[in-house]
Amino acid sequence: MKDKRLSRRCFIKQGLVAGTLGPALMGRVMPVSSGSESRGNDNPERHIREARYYEKIGEKKIVCKLCPHECRIADLERGTCGVRENRNGTYYTMVYGNPCSVHVDPIEKKPIFHYYPATRAFSIATAGCNFVCRFCQNWEISQKRPEQVKTIDLYPADVIKAARRYDCHTVAHTYTEPVIFFEYMLDCAIQGHKQHIPNVMISNGYIQEKPIRELCQYLGAVKIDLKAFTDKFYREQCSGTLKPVLDCLLVLKDEGIWFEIVVLIIPTLNDSPQEIRQMTRWIVKELGADVPVHFSRYYPTFMLKNIPPTPPGLLDRAWKIARESGVQYAYVGNLLSDASNTYCHSCGKLLIERYGFNISLKGMNKNKCKYCGEKIPGVF
Amino acid sequence: MKTNRRAFTKTLMATTVGAATGLLSTGRLPGDGPDESVVVLARSRELIRVGHDIRRENAGRVLNEALKRITGKSSAALAWKHLFSPGERVGIKLSCLPGKPMSSSPGLVMSIAQGLISAGIQPDNIFIWERTDRELEQAGYKISRKGINVFGTDHLSNGGYSDRIEISRSVGTCFSRIVESVDVMISVPVLKDHDIAGVSIGLKNFYGAIHNPNKFHTHNCNPYVADLCAHPLIKNKLRLTVCDASRVQVHNGPAFYPKYARDYGGILVSTDPVALDYIGWQIIEKERKALKLKTLKASGREPLYLFSAMKLKLGQARESHIRLIEI
Repeated sequence: MKDKRLSRRCFIKQGLVAGTLGPALMGRVMPVSSGSESRGNDNPERHIREARYYEKIGEKKIVCKLCPHECRIADLERGTCGVRENRNGTYYTMVYGNPCSVHVDPIEKKPIFHYYPATRAFSIATAGCNFVCRFCQNWEISQKRPEQVKTIDLYPADVIKAARRYDCHTVAHTYTEPVIFFEYMLDCAIQGHKQHIPNVMISNGYIQEKPIRELCQYLGAVKIDLKAFTDKFYREQCSGTLKPVLDCLLVLKDEGIWFEIVVLIIPTLNDSPQEIRQMTRWIVKELGADVPVHFSRYYPTFMLKNIPPTPPGLLDRAWKIARESGVQYAYVGNLLSDASNTYCHSCGKLLIERYGFNISLKGMNKNKCKYCGEKIPGVF
Repeated sequence: MKTNRRAFTKTLMATTVGAATGLLSTGRLPGDGPDESVVVLARSRELIRVGHDIRRENAGRVLNEALKRITGKSSAALAWKHLFSPGERVGIKLSCLPGKPMSSSPGLVMSIAQGLISAGIQPDNIFIWERTDRELEQAGYKISRKGINVFGTDHLSNGGYSDRIEISRSVGTCFSRIVESVDVMISVPVLKDHDIAGVSIGLKNFYGAIHNPNKFHTHNCNPYVADLCAHPLIKNKLRLTVCDASRVQVHNGPAFYPKYARDYGGILVSTDPVALDYIGWQIIEKERKALKLKTLKASGREPLYLFSAMKLKLGQARESHIRLIEI
């Protein structure tokens, strides 16, 4: 892999390019101030729907069956996600049709590289998450309750309409953790499925089997953050556990839905060669060599500020290990690198060139390599 | 004047004993200080709720008596003055999740405000608060920004929480800006069982002071409650806990569940929040036993966070080191 570590001049040049092209591609932000903005709690009742996966256990208590936390929740309390509340023994989602973040992004920003590349994704998120990742880049919405963030009314039918209006090929449920706004995402996906606007989920994969199988009937693709390959990391850095995420990946494989994996490499915490090797070997063995694996650069934020950004060399190393393990499509993200490009796994020729969010499908012929005719995994 | 070693040692000992005695008399346990904390349990028929509230005069009378015992002062006015100084901005954190039947009763809260005023605190320096305006209103309070302030964190701009993440051991959170803006705090919880934490009394009341309490309910809230209250914004500002035990939710809390609610007719008062919670826990256990309910330990939700809090030197959770004064 050839790394593009840059001179100051090149860096400035790229910054200018990004600054010029960025708004054209990424700056389509639906203004939250248009029309129906609220701070969530103005009239929260209109965003409340009965939750889909939970069990009543008597005396007004419930157990949530959406994610592996299985929160046991007494009357008037909320789950760890902060967006589901027990009211008199019935469990409700509080964020239906109530996103706090609405943007138009290139789908590569998710990142998803093998699913309609160079198209736009109408990207939405509500407040809340079922993890507490100490390095969360979006903690200002993911770690908040719906009443603590600015939101707009945007129900599923409006989401699909807006995606069309902004010339988006897909709807992406992203930024925070879509699992926690399951009902909203599911209804968007059902409507999108009917109207040929596929929905994609950008998730931590911390979800129980039944709900993820239901989602797979309507979603177009999924990206899973595999945060590490040790339970220790999940427990100490994310307030979660590893196994349910691996189980989710196996279900995605079983369902036959397109999915990609992202691993945020954090120096000293999840970057050991042994761990990356174990992880990528597991991916190849259990999920397949054709599952793209992205190694992303970490930046200090939220509660993890004492570790400096990932040196590019660590990402190079992870990339090499993944390739050695048999991963056909390994990528490096959150920095400029040739390893962000797609090369044919058969002939090695450049298929898709990525320079920031400038995408050129120069080597693709529909879903095949134009040089050797090999079918490229994904949806193109 | 030169001091020889003997004189120096004598002076030092006298100072230490004096300081210890002074601290003991206020029931405080700061750091490695005195080994005993004082909790007052006042019970009276006058503290039984009528129409979900306690009469303010009754609450005030009992509370003043309790404070005299806590401070060792001869009058209520001196007791209040001993604890609070004119010019201080005082936040009174209520517990109003379950609505009127099981929230901090207005009668008790207003008697606390009256006591503060008697100590020279200006009414507009008193902040009676909870998470939201709605919770306060549902508990029978009227939102006000004139005279004594009564409002929820969400009353403030931008949701009312600080933008800054504060980290206190296992807890990373944004505090209510009310916590940041007041000089001292009084916690006024109700005495209740909690389905996860075991009990929710004075310390856990501060889950209502942060933006993400839902993140800290695993492992029976241990050590999260303790870690949260060890943050200087709480540890250094919390001066008094007055627990409304007029009604006790013995089981199935924290919401109001009439089947397991008992009219107890009491208030608990202490300057040691851990000791007060410990005594509150024992009361709940006693009431549970009377109802033939399992102990909290047997129910898998013993409030071990109290012992974590003691380890962090927030107060005393050993029964042998708590002096319970019943009046």
